[in-house]
Amino acid sequence: MIRHVNMEMHDNELVAIIGPSGIGKSTLLRILGGFVQPKEGEVRLLGKRVLQPSPKIALIHQSIATFPWMTALDNVRLGLKYRKLSKEEEIRIAKKMLELVGLSGFENFYPKQMSGGMRQRIAIARALAAEPLVLLMDEPFSHLDELTAEGLRQEVYQMLFSEESPLKTVVLVSHNLFEVVELADRVYVLNGIPATVVGDIKINLPRPRDQHDPELQEYVDTLYKLLSPSLKKKLTDGKGETI
Amino acid sequence: MTDFLSILPTLILASLVSIGRVWITILFSIVSGWFLAWASIKSKVFENTYISLSEVFESVPVFSFLPIVFIFFVYDIGGSLGIELSVLFLVFTATVWNIWMGIYQAFKTIPHDLVEVTENYKLGFWGKMLKLYIPYSVPRIASELMSSFSDGLFYITVSEVFSVGTRNFEVFGIGSVIANLTQEGNYLGALEGVVVIGIFVAVITYLLREFAKYSVSKYGLDTEMIIRKKGRLNIRSSLRVTNSLPTFTKIARVFPTLDKLRRSSTEDYYEEPRKREKLWKIVGGTIGVVLLVLIIYGAVGIIISVPFTEWAQLISSIPTDLVAIGVDYLRVGIIAGVSFLLAVFLGYYLSTHERVEKVVIPVIQSFAALPAPAYIPLVYLVTLPLVHEVFGPFTNEFYVLFIGFISTFYYLFYSFWLGVKNMPTQYWEIMKNYQLGFFEKMKSIILPSTLPYIVTGLSSTINSAWGGLAIAEYWPNIINGHNLYVRTGMMRDIVYYTNVGDIADAVWLSFLFGIIVVLYSILFTRKLMDLSRQKYVAEEGIYLV
Repeated sequence: MIRHVNMEMHDNELVAIIGPSGIGKSTLLRILGGFVQPKEGEVRLLGKRVLQPSPKIALIHQSIATFPWMTALDNVRLGLKYRKLSKEEEIRIAKKMLELVGLSGFENFYPKQMSGGMRQRIAIARALAAEPLVLLMDEPFSHLDELTAEGLRQEVYQMLFSEESPLKTVVLVSHNLFEVVELADRVYVLNGIPATVVGDIKINLPRPRDQHDPELQEYVDTLYKLLSPSLKKKLTDGKGETI
Repeated sequence: MTDFLSILPTLILASLVSIGRVWITILFSIVSGWFLAWASIKSKVFENTYISLSEVFESVPVFSFLPIVFIFFVYDIGGSLGIELSVLFLVFTATVWNIWMGIYQAFKTIPHDLVEVTENYKLGFWGKMLKLYIPYSVPRIASELMSSFSDGLFYITVSEVFSVGTRNFEVFGIGSVIANLTQEGNYLGALEGVVVIGIFVAVITYLLREFAKYSVSKYGLDTEMIIRKKGRLNIRSSLRVTNSLPTFTKIARVFPTLDKLRRSSTEDYYEEPRKREKLWKIVGGTIGVVLLVLIIYGAVGIIISVPFTEWAQLISSIPTDLVAIGVDYLRVGIIAGVSFLLAVFLGYYLSTHERVEKVVIPVIQSFAALPAPAYIPLVYLVTLPLVHEVFGPFTNEFYVLFIGFISTFYYLFYSFWLGVKNMPTQYWEIMKNYQLGFFEKMKSIILPSTLPYIVTGLSSTINSAWGGLAIAEYWPNIINGHNLYVRTGMMRDIVYYTNVGDIADAVWLSFLFGIIVVLYSILFTRKLMDLSRQKYVAEEGIYLV
């Protein structure tokens, strides 16, 4: 259960939401996308209420979702269907998006012929093809092995905020603290029962970021303290201020 | 009112007798299924014989057994025992295959770890059966019971009254009681009979659903299967729902093909002391060989006993027979097509409207289990004037297709509905996210996702349609002196030949039909099934480490 959560995402910003397992991060993400309606409160995109899912807010799933009976190209074309384009135009855009995510030459491959990382790239290309303003990413690297995940992490920021992408904002849900500090511009920390925002941390680190950077490690420690109730208490008591 | 009350005890008793017959066959199927499945996992020879024969017999419609049943039980055994046994056997052939295959697949897919535990603690045959194999097969059996009960009841009501040549045979049961009431012109009494059996069916359908849920909660493994429910994940509850549904859908989704199961040897699963293993192999192998020898002996016996002139006459009738078979396939095609359209539109509507679904699905289940032969004469009587006005010379054709449809649409509908319910949540979110239109959703996502379910459902629908055609294509004096006949049709010919006592022609036609069904199954159904399993498995689109 989530209560009294107030969040803002701005242009060209990758915002991460972190919190302990089962706290409702994925649910919150689906509320942001209009997949689930909140009992109270509202979500607004550029001032307009979000009442149902829309291609303007694209969701990337934790369990990488592609369609095994469609080629990579056709999987990406699915994101374009709502735009009612000609077949040629669909193919042209889909190819461009596959190129953007580094899958040029794999257009006619089926997902089963590809690795997990490549499949997730297809899902990202499909989302970008829909020309979304907001991209919601639900632990997008959690089902990839560490090497693949790290490779994709290093590329994803450039992909998402490239000149060819119409994206304004990315919201990333994760429980991997190194991952969020490496990728995010800002981090919302959820904790407690019911869950509330216990921290809003701006990550002021230059890109590209290195996970072994001591400054990055400090951010990770800060986030960790916010997530751990006992440490949080000490921190609060010690400094005499509420986080 | 007095009439209503006076026949009520008879109707209740008759319903109980008919339902009792169905359950006797189901229980026999279950118990025999346990031993056969055990023998299958112990002996390759037995397994190959058993599964091959079951596959063939499963794809041959029950009514093809009719002449053989009559020859053996009615003429060879004779008396009321012969009639009773022939009825039971006919129903047995309708209920047994699902259950046997379900138990076999359950035994073959028992997790290796659990088998090792029984090995570890040195459990013997009964120990393993009672502590592992039988409990593990219970959810599978429970999931089969609904369709087996429904099939059994359909055939019991047909087979309680039948005639061969000039002789009429009858056993007491709801089918024969309703038939007699209809013949006497007591339509209200017949309707009362339909209502009584309907109440029993509704109660039993409800109990079967509950039993299926219970069996999964008690005996099911806590496997994670992510399926859609209320727009979010509800794994345990969804799993229960899935497990309480008919087998064919589960086979398509969870279980490997029979071929794959057969190819994996018992040694892959576990090791047993060699002596006992060898003994089982010998016993299973011997039974398998004996079965084969008996079949070959029976076939040769029949071939020799039929005079040459008879053979010549039978062979010369092949072109006419093929036309009759072709016409019936056309009918089955129409029935399957209409069932498919209904399944797609109604199945999709229900799976996306949860409140309506909660009411309609149990109603459809109960209706599907209500034996059509019991109430069709009354429906015929009421609707005939209107149908005749609309369809004119095609009135009988309409009724034949209608009866075929209502006795079989359920399988495809239910299978498709379940396929839609089992689509990964992520696919639903993607469809919403990219605002796909109805036809785009159907073409790109829903139909491909549910293809394995559609193929299995379609296969069951086609197999079952023959039963409906058999009663509808030749139904003398269906009610009030009306006859329901068609001019051309294989099922009409089989039933007609049987009724006039021309068993040779009936068996011959069944034999020809059997060959075509098996060829159709090998060349079409299996290929389509393999394709759908290779390419159209929605779960494979979800990548989880």
